[in-house]
Amino acid sequence: MTLSWLCGLLRRRVTRLLLNAIGIAVAVALLGSLASFLAASRSTMTDRAARTVAVDWQVQPQPGGSPSALLEATRTAAGTLAALPVGFGHSTGLAATSAGDGAASTQTTGPAEVLGLPPDYRAVFPDAIRGLEGSSTGVLVAQQTAANLHARPGDSVTIGRAGLPPAVVRVDGIVALPQADSLFQRVGAPVGAQPSAPPDNVLLLPDQQWHAVFDPLAGRGADAPTVQIHAARSHQLPPDPAAAYTAATAAAHNLEARTAGAGIVGDNLAAALGRAREDAAYAQVLFLFLGAPGAVLAALLTAMVTATGSGRRRREFALLRARGMGSARLVGLAAVEAGVVGSIGTLAGLAVVAVITRTAFGIGGVGATAAVMSAAGGLLIAVATVLVPAYRDLRQVSVAAGRMAVGPTTAPRWTRWGLDLLLLAGAGVIFWLTGRNGYQLVLAPEGVPGISVSYWAFTGPALLWIGAGLFAWRLVDLALGRGRDLVGRGLRPVAGNLAATASAMMSRRRNSLAGATVVLGLALAFAASTATFNSTYRAQAEADAQLTNGADVTVTEPPGATVGPSASAQFTGPGVRSVEPLQHRFAYVGADLQDLYGVNPATITNATALRDQYFQGGTARQLLDRLASAPDSVLVSAETVADFQLQPGDLVNLRLRDARTGALITVPFHYVGVVSEFPTAPKDSFLVANASYVAAHTGSDAVAAFLVDTGGQNVNVVSGRLRQQVAGSATVTDMTSTRAAIGSSLTAVDLAGLTRIELGFALALAAAAAGLVLSLGLAERRRGFAIATALGASGGQLRGLIASEAAVLAVGALLAGATLGWVLSEMLVAVLTGVFDPPPSALSVPWGYLAGIGALTMASLAVATALTAGIAGRSSIALLREL
Amino acid sequence: MSAPARRPAGQDATLPNPLVVCQAVSRDYGEGTARVAAVRQVSCGVRPGARIAVTGRSGSGKSTLLHLMAGLDTPTAGTINWPGLGGAPHGRPGSVGVVFQGPSLLPELTALENTALPRLFGGHSPGCAASRAAEALRRLGIEDLSDALPDQLSSGQAQRVAIARALASRPRLILADEPTGRLDAATGAQVITALLDVADEIDAGLVVATHDPAVAVRLTESWQMNDGRLAVTTHRANQPEERS
Repeated sequence: MTLSWLCGLLRRRVTRLLLNAIGIAVAVALLGSLASFLAASRSTMTDRAARTVAVDWQVQPQPGGSPSALLEATRTAAGTLAALPVGFGHSTGLAATSAGDGAASTQTTGPAEVLGLPPDYRAVFPDAIRGLEGSSTGVLVAQQTAANLHARPGDSVTIGRAGLPPAVVRVDGIVALPQADSLFQRVGAPVGAQPSAPPDNVLLLPDQQWHAVFDPLAGRGADAPTVQIHAARSHQLPPDPAAAYTAATAAAHNLEARTAGAGIVGDNLAAALGRAREDAAYAQVLFLFLGAPGAVLAALLTAMVTATGSGRRRREFALLRARGMGSARLVGLAAVEAGVVGSIGTLAGLAVVAVITRTAFGIGGVGATAAVMSAAGGLLIAVATVLVPAYRDLRQVSVAAGRMAVGPTTAPRWTRWGLDLLLLAGAGVIFWLTGRNGYQLVLAPEGVPGISVSYWAFTGPALLWIGAGLFAWRLVDLALGRGRDLVGRGLRPVAGNLAATASAMMSRRRNSLAGATVVLGLALAFAASTATFNSTYRAQAEADAQLTNGADVTVTEPPGATVGPSASAQFTGPGVRSVEPLQHRFAYVGADLQDLYGVNPATITNATALRDQYFQGGTARQLLDRLASAPDSVLVSAETVADFQLQPGDLVNLRLRDARTGALITVPFHYVGVVSEFPTAPKDSFLVANASYVAAHTGSDAVAAFLVDTGGQNVNVVSGRLRQQVAGSATVTDMTSTRAAIGSSLTAVDLAGLTRIELGFALALAAAAAGLVLSLGLAERRRGFAIATALGASGGQLRGLIASEAAVLAVGALLAGATLGWVLSEMLVAVLTGVFDPPPSALSVPWGYLAGIGALTMASLAVATALTAGIAGRSSIALLREL
Repeated sequence: MSAPARRPAGQDATLPNPLVVCQAVSRDYGEGTARVAAVRQVSCGVRPGARIAVTGRSGSGKSTLLHLMAGLDTPTAGTINWPGLGGAPHGRPGSVGVVFQGPSLLPELTALENTALPRLFGGHSPGCAASRAAEALRRLGIEDLSDALPDQLSSGQAQRVAIARALASRPRLILADEPTGRLDAATGAQVITALLDVADEIDAGLVVATHDPAVAVRLTESWQMNDGRLAVTTHRANQPEERS
């Protein structure tokens, strides 16, 4: 019996079985692809995090401990590739004499840090020091220090020593210290006790020279030099960032234990891995937020496919029951159907996963865990969508009811309970509660192996999905029930004199139509919210990259260069829309040394995007207008406003270096607004002023960087051309390389993968939901169309009836999808604010993709309508003979 | 009662102003060895006012012949014309009323809405179609079922609604395929009476395919189908007296 039932199914219902299997395959493919990619990307995150660290360990000897013993212990620690001693000396101040315009001048600085580096330091730690000018070995001056001292390679610098005569060294080169924050960290101090910024003045000496300068200061209390041991560690770590973090931390603790407290490890590697494990946790969060709804949708779609055949199944089962077959046997038949559908769908889905992981992600294959998880998901969906409805029908539906051709038209019970409204209210409350905690979804405290992920926050969007779906159901039910006449009037352009008949037919089938509308609406909402979230994320990553690089392409002049703004003309050419000079100076606000950027407020936005969230107290345009309103206007950071109790219009005296004399001069400015971010500016305090005013008072219009706008096109071509043009006399950077350099592991890896997977699946789901649900539902009613044809319905009238249904489905689903998509996007961007840097001020809506989704849905519905009308119009003799 | 006149089949094809004329019509189903000839070389015609019972065993081709005459099916050989209807019925919704053997009501529509369909397909306004449908239901004595869905009707009630639907557009030709097949004798008699009354009222030709001799005897003419062929036609002279 079972075999003949199965053969009958395969012979007569093969299309429906295949469609069920395809629905399951889509769910399995989505789950499997995401899980495979998540697993593979975690190891990429670990590699990437480890690669960003210039010095893995900075081991600080403790008082009484032997630096040489500690060095030996560090060198012999398992996993250490190399360990070198680095001297840290404190200078009372640096001074340099330079030849100005005819007259020599002396510049001095405040206290400085002087490091003593072994000869092979740069070979062992290549990313710790970046050469800018002159030699990359010998006596090296940090960029900002060189600016303060007006020092160039070949100049002499005097190193002040407490209680001893100063020492004089000759500068060999100027360098940047990309990881100065960690280099000058207070090892062992908690995060809050770390210095807010690295030292302003830094000098690097070869270790022999350093010893000659600082050994005489040994034993002089606070001024005594210290030695720190820098170690390069093996990056052969466990692939999972959390496991890698635990392994790295354990190794550091092991060294501290073996040296019995003689040294404390500043574990930069573990810190980077700690951030990566946070990224990994966020990737997991994104997987759940953005991936799970897709899988559930695929399951819903499968359920819809099954449901459109439920009338047929109910009638068949009712017939079998009427002829004496027991319920257990019938459930067995449904289980066989579920097993066949589930197995075929799961196998097909896994095959798709294998193809996707190879072609789209370049991953070797499907992970075992991912395969098992997604296969289990597929079988579960088969059981839930095929077996459970059959079992429910057997338990709840009488034989007579089972033979009914039209299901019940009464509203589901949950509508009377107001379940949808309760769920929506719950989503709102949870969203509000999550917002009170600042949407902190992932907590990865430093030094703590465990990561805390607030899964509670998932409840908000989950309730919103369910609540909105049910609410859409309620609205469709209302429209087709009580609003049937209104719908009928609306359908007149489509169905003519059959409009009322069409609305009556839909009204009697409104439960299945509401289900189809909800599934299509949710598919559209999934596509819209995913695309909007991804677009917003990309826009923010782009904004971050532009903030760091300054513009599409930036030509940065070397320290001390005197190139004026007129040089902008030489950077124009094919592909360049505009070039904007950007001044950079160092200015003292009281005793605080800050970066000062001189701009032309009227034209700066020609070359770089200034977003409103970079400023406080007005839009970007308003703040730039304020800056332009008076030449001595200055924008300062909020921190400076608070520190110096500034009010708008207050006089701010800045001390700037006069290029003509080399001396610091006082230049009066007036505070007009607050700036929090600015292209190329650091994260801490800085100032923005009018370039012409700065140039007039300092006697120099020297430009630090030229911001080149390419309109986002041909960035690599333009940057390549400019690199050739400047031939090493300036540094050319572009958005592409900056994006790669600053992007977190999450930005660079996971979201790109998620985007590809999800946007593809969202498109497929929307198209499938539109086409399948409509055509399957209508195919079930071919007999009805045959009757209509026999009664004289023309092809146009049949098309009108079918198109009416498609129109209601399209309007309902587009409205539901657009509304829910927008609300979900807002909620997702707010809840996942932790993955954004900087946080967005508004959604970035991908109108092109959304229009494409809408058009694809409409096209899918149109094709399904045309195909169904074609089938319905062909007078089916076989069907008529059954009448 | 006079003895019925018996004639060879197909003579009525030469009737003046017939509603439908079949000439040497055949209809085959299937391919190759599975090919079945449902109707073979049938020539016949139906004039306005004709009351024809098509009898024969199951599978003798009665339903196929009715479908062919209704324009719902296309003959494999031979020709069918509808001179009295002005052309093929498919282009003129409502010109032929068909009552099917099985359940033929659209399950999503009420009895009234089902009955109004042919008029709507004929391009009439919903109001006009509804009033004619209500009238047809009233004529069959089932106006109280107007708002009932087909699933809520008994087989007999559903069949009466189907007849009402066939009559609502006042067709020139009524083709009823086993209209009493699922009804008890009393209800069947009522249905046939209703069919005859309406056919008389609108002077329509009526063709009823039936197994039931009690139905056949109430019609003035009888066509006997045998293995796809129209074997014998019989005319009764005193039909009005038998109607009661």
